[in-house]
Amino acid sequence: MSLKFLVVDDSVTMRRIVINSLKNLGYDNFVEAGDGKEALDKLSADEAINFVITDWNMPNVSGLELVKTIRGDSKLSKLSILMVTTRGVKEDIIEALNAKVNNYIVKPFTPQVLKEKIDQILNAA
Amino acid sequence: MKQVTTMTDLFERLNDLKVVFRYGQKLIPIIQSLIDFMKETVPLLEDINTSIADSTSKIPKAKDQISNVSSATELATTEILDIIDSISLDMDKIEKSVIDFQSKDEERKKIWNKLKEIVSNNSEALELMIQLELLNQYNPVVPEMLDTFKRIKNGVYSITLSLQVQDITSQQLAAVNHLIESVRTRLSSLIIHLDETEIKDLSEMKIDVPEGSTFDPDAIYTKSSEKQDVADILVNNINNKATQDEIDKLFS
Repeated sequence: MSLKFLVVDDSVTMRRIVINSLKNLGYDNFVEAGDGKEALDKLSADEAINFVITDWNMPNVSGLELVKTIRGDSKLSKLSILMVTTRGVKEDIIEALNAKVNNYIVKPFTPQVLKEKIDQILNAA
Repeated sequence: MKQVTTMTDLFERLNDLKVVFRYGQKLIPIIQSLIDFMKETVPLLEDINTSIADSTSKIPKAKDQISNVSSATELATTEILDIIDSISLDMDKIEKSVIDFQSKDEERKKIWNKLKEIVSNNSEALELMIQLELLNQYNPVVPEMLDTFKRIKNGVYSITLSLQVQDITSQQLAAVNHLIESVRTRLSSLIIHLDETEIKDLSEMKIDVPEGSTFDPDAIYTKSSEKQDVADILVNNINNKATQDEIDKLFS
């Protein structure tokens, strides 16, 4: 299955770092969004997107709201979602997992961790 | 008899009054010093009020400066990432050329060997060809070059990853900005309270991060994997349908 990633983060720097890391892992199909609202627009416009990597703290629509919206939408609910955020408190991680993110990375991430989590999601699918 | 009693009462009352006057005389200096104290205190309170008002008015500038720092670091980081992308592209091109050269070198060797066979009867030509072959031996250099490219690319990628510090610092600065704004609000209310000559206990004032904020006040740039380890334990357990009690036990 060819993967098309949607990288969602309000920080341009983080989006570029995530995309560079994905390129290093051999992936080459990406779409970007600056917040959850833009991400939902991109998702409704591009059905080829099958993997979402999202931050949590963002303006307009947060990463957590984005996850809940995706999981609540019959057309999008099967998407793979990896949350990459600075929020490393236990309660936050549980909240994200209860919202049905597939995996969770605490920033700053290493390429090994990114690869490991993407592989885990793909293997479980 | 009744008149005598009345007079006695009168003298007693006069005596009481005398005591009150004597007490009043003693009180006058105290009241005077209280008035003096208040006279001195009022300008002091006015000074405090002015000082707080002055500090409060400077806060928006401090906030702007912090925002400027965030914008400047984001701009600088973007420039660094642009340069890194450009270096990576150049490195890819050079690497490709070297690999291409390496593959052509194999073809060159084959042709060379055929030529050597052709000129094998001409010892002078053969000797020159051997000398030329020695000068054209690139093979040991090429793998070394490719190895160096790999190291440079890894180094460049490490720089990219380290730039995550910009996002994390921006969130920390946003949290500081929010804190400053909260302090400004408190100071503004303090000015009002001072005007009413009433000062509230600052320790009662709580600074909360609003719901839906775009920053994490606890964002931290660290090489420690402690938080990721917690996340991994939770992901494994929640995905395996562990109960809240089981999760709590893991961290007890």
